[in-house]
Amino acid sequence: MTGGPTMGGCMDLGAVAPEMVLAGTALALVPAAAWVRGRWRRLPAAIAFLALLAAMALTAPMLTAAPREAFCGTYAADPFRAFYQLVIEAGALVSLLSLASHFRRSEQEPHYPVALLMATVGGMGLTAATDLGLIVLFLQMVSFPSYLLVLLVRSDEPAQEATLKYFLYGAAALAVMAYGLTFLFGLTGSLNLRAIGAGLAGADRAWVALAFGLVVVGYGFEMTLVPFHVWAPDVFQGGTAPVSGFVSVVPKVAAFAGLLRFLLEAMPNGLAAWPTVLALMAAATMTFGNLVALRQESLKRMLAYSSIAQAGYMLMAVAVAGQVPEALPAIGYYLLAYLPMNLAAFTVVAQVERISGSDSLATVRGLGRRAPWPAAALALALLSLAGVPPLAGFAGKVFLLLAALDGGLAPLALLAAANMAVALYYYAVVIAEMYFREPERAEALAPGAGYAWAVGLCSVGTLTFGIAPGLARTLSQLGATLLR
Amino acid sequence: MLTLTIFLPLLTGLVVLALPRHRPDLVRRVALAGSVLTLGVAVILWAGFDAGTGGLQWRTTLPWIPSVGASYDVGVGGLALALILLTAILLTVVMVHVLPEHDRAHAHAFLFLLLGTGLIGLFAAQDLLLFYLFFEVGLVPMYFIVGIWGGERRRYAALKFFLYTRAGSLAMLLGFLALYLAMAPHTFSLPAIIQARPLDRVPLAGGLVFLALLIGFGVKLPLVPLHNWLPDAHVEAPTEGSVVLAGLQLKMGGYGMLAVLLPALPETVARFGWLLVALALASLVYGALAALAQSDMKRLVAYTSVNHMGFVTLGVAVAALAGNEEVRRLALNGAAVQMVSHGFLTGGMFLLVGMLQHRAGTRELDRFGGLIGAMPTFSGLFGLLAFGSLGLPGLSGFVAEFQAVGAALQLSAWVAAVAVLALVLTTAVYLRLVTGLLMGRAPPDMPALPPLTAGEAGAAGALAALAVGVGILPAALLALLDGTTAVLAHLP
Repeated sequence: MTGGPTMGGCMDLGAVAPEMVLAGTALALVPAAAWVRGRWRRLPAAIAFLALLAAMALTAPMLTAAPREAFCGTYAADPFRAFYQLVIEAGALVSLLSLASHFRRSEQEPHYPVALLMATVGGMGLTAATDLGLIVLFLQMVSFPSYLLVLLVRSDEPAQEATLKYFLYGAAALAVMAYGLTFLFGLTGSLNLRAIGAGLAGADRAWVALAFGLVVVGYGFEMTLVPFHVWAPDVFQGGTAPVSGFVSVVPKVAAFAGLLRFLLEAMPNGLAAWPTVLALMAAATMTFGNLVALRQESLKRMLAYSSIAQAGYMLMAVAVAGQVPEALPAIGYYLLAYLPMNLAAFTVVAQVERISGSDSLATVRGLGRRAPWPAAALALALLSLAGVPPLAGFAGKVFLLLAALDGGLAPLALLAAANMAVALYYYAVVIAEMYFREPERAEALAPGAGYAWAVGLCSVGTLTFGIAPGLARTLSQLGATLLR
Repeated sequence: MLTLTIFLPLLTGLVVLALPRHRPDLVRRVALAGSVLTLGVAVILWAGFDAGTGGLQWRTTLPWIPSVGASYDVGVGGLALALILLTAILLTVVMVHVLPEHDRAHAHAFLFLLLGTGLIGLFAAQDLLLFYLFFEVGLVPMYFIVGIWGGERRRYAALKFFLYTRAGSLAMLLGFLALYLAMAPHTFSLPAIIQARPLDRVPLAGGLVFLALLIGFGVKLPLVPLHNWLPDAHVEAPTEGSVVLAGLQLKMGGYGMLAVLLPALPETVARFGWLLVALALASLVYGALAALAQSDMKRLVAYTSVNHMGFVTLGVAVAALAGNEEVRRLALNGAAVQMVSHGFLTGGMFLLVGMLQHRAGTRELDRFGGLIGAMPTFSGLFGLLAFGSLGLPGLSGFVAEFQAVGAALQLSAWVAAVAVLALVLTTAVYLRLVTGLLMGRAPPDMPALPPLTAGEAGAAGALAALAVGVGILPAALLALLDGTTAVLAHLP
């Protein structure tokens, strides 16, 4: 440990106030969830909602505060962490809204807020942890409640299989990663990321490369990077749609932030050739995700492959994060943009799925006539994911491409542009199904104020971030300040 | 004022969406009023425009994404103003034309108005990121228009259109980003990039950016061999969609070549000048030959667009290659006039073919004959537009093509010869159309064809009148365009 004088001297509880609020609420809700009956079953969700708002209010001031370390150098309190925590909290908030409508009057109604809050705390911790032990802990903490969430569905056919697959993959990936982290400790004798970064300078290159190779498995699992993405399509399809939305945002944002912190602090100067490795993984991830997405008939599977491809675009900027100052704001902006467009898509799919009992492409046929507003929101989200201006995904892709070009990765930027052109196909197929065909079914969509708020907030975000990217860009610029 | 012109259609569109569901008549009136108002504001812009100076006028600059050096920067030169006027005119014509039909009137009007904002914004944008934004805003509504109100194979045509143009525009985006990164300090400002011409003397990077922009603009123009989407999109699009597609959206490519590609990379364009000449000639000849082989009138007119837009490329190529400033100016004027003239002529042609289809339910040339007796007004307008399109003196097409071929002759007699050959072929296309449709004897199974209504005659007649106006008095249009082309021709 490099931190303060004694354990007592570096207990900085203010640095973890948002996490404490959420974890405390989650713990209090565990017994409460078992007691509530009747219409009180909505109470846990309402409390979780207020707790998330409070946590956001506590996190926001850290965006402009000077970076400092807490808990004897094991935990960072810097704008970087505050930015990604805000994104995670916002993602949880929107997911909570749509889950509130989705599980209304079901057995699971009081339980999901607990799991959701715990996963959120885990994700938030991962963005701030600068200690190998804490990194492993928080990775587990974001994963375990996520497994539970996938298991919570209104009717349970493929969910158990999905959960099992998610759990087995997760357990294996995280074990491999923990093994890799032990090499880093062995090479440097420290658990602290910065101390490792300093110590690795003289270490044997082969061992460092091996350690990096093992560590990237864990992050790659959460971020759905090829070849560690295999679980994602089955889990997204098996889980209930709002949960899939949550899993496609919160663990992913947390893992991007965690990986960035790990790379920039523990592996400075492109140690173990990580820029090249990640550039190659980015190429594989975006290309594979897009090509497979072309052939999907299930909307949730299509969105799963689409989210794999989106991770590939973002990884492109991670690969140059060490040398291009614009890369960090670009990634931050993209995650901020990815959140509303992706969650809006999953929420509308959730509404479709609840009414028709299926998520096949045919279920959205003629949706433009049956449910004009949700259809417009889904079209907006898909066009944004495709990168059509003036939507959030467009500005985000411009920033990512700029970072890649600036970092000398012109061929990768070209490949990404080609990928974006191809990706348009599968998004456009859904839009065509909604608008260019007459409806065969008469019913509209599952109603619910939570759905409506989630979709509305996301659509406003998608439009605002796209038309006036200035504010979000300023936020992500603030969030590029890392404790180093 | 310029900002008002850009966003007036969008505002009208939003108002239209808020109108009650059961009042399609109200929707049409509001949409028409919005288009007329836009035209009015555009005319005010024109009245306040000083054609004598070549610089940008009505300029407004506001910060947009300051941290990356992108701003909301709009301003117009003569060419841009002419195209903005054309946009407002065609938008109004479309709104007049659709008065009586179409379900989902709200969405229909909104999409066309959104498209109007995209096009006007594109012609006014002086920031490359903004240019790109408007480029796509002008594109996505057409995907929905073709897909929702199109013909039998509309889903296929809409998807093909969307994928082609999107692939092209992404290539263009990469080119823009490369230009941005080459500037120090980084900026998307078009005037600054034209001033500095950062990549023009870097052979590899300059060549790649040239290629990227050429693909982007070439798909829209369209340039053979990137034209493949055009016949399908045109045939499947509803009439008013075809009018806007041909009359306005093809101009996005031509405008991009004249306003971005040529001034930002003049030496690189000259280096690839002969490639451009070859592509232009291929478009000229191929477009004419393909049109000659069609029996579907809409498809036929669609292919003549490939031919007509070839003159725009030819003008750009000759301007880049020619050493003499006068020749360059002549070539650029040809290209610029062609864009405006083609908007009137082909827009009008699509409108008339659509009216015929609406009456007869078919567009097959063989099914018609002797219309001059059955539909005299229609025949008069059709003949006028067809002769304008084949380049008859006294009509706008002649002014454009005469200048383009004249400039090409100064460069190389062979190039001019091929261009003239294409003109002869085009003449054959239109003569076949006019004789087949208007003259001769009506086939026995020809459907009954009621005469044009006042609205229809007015919409098509306005375009025909403009074509005649430009043909007789080209000076008014040339005075407007000359400021832009003189500046372009003067570039060292």
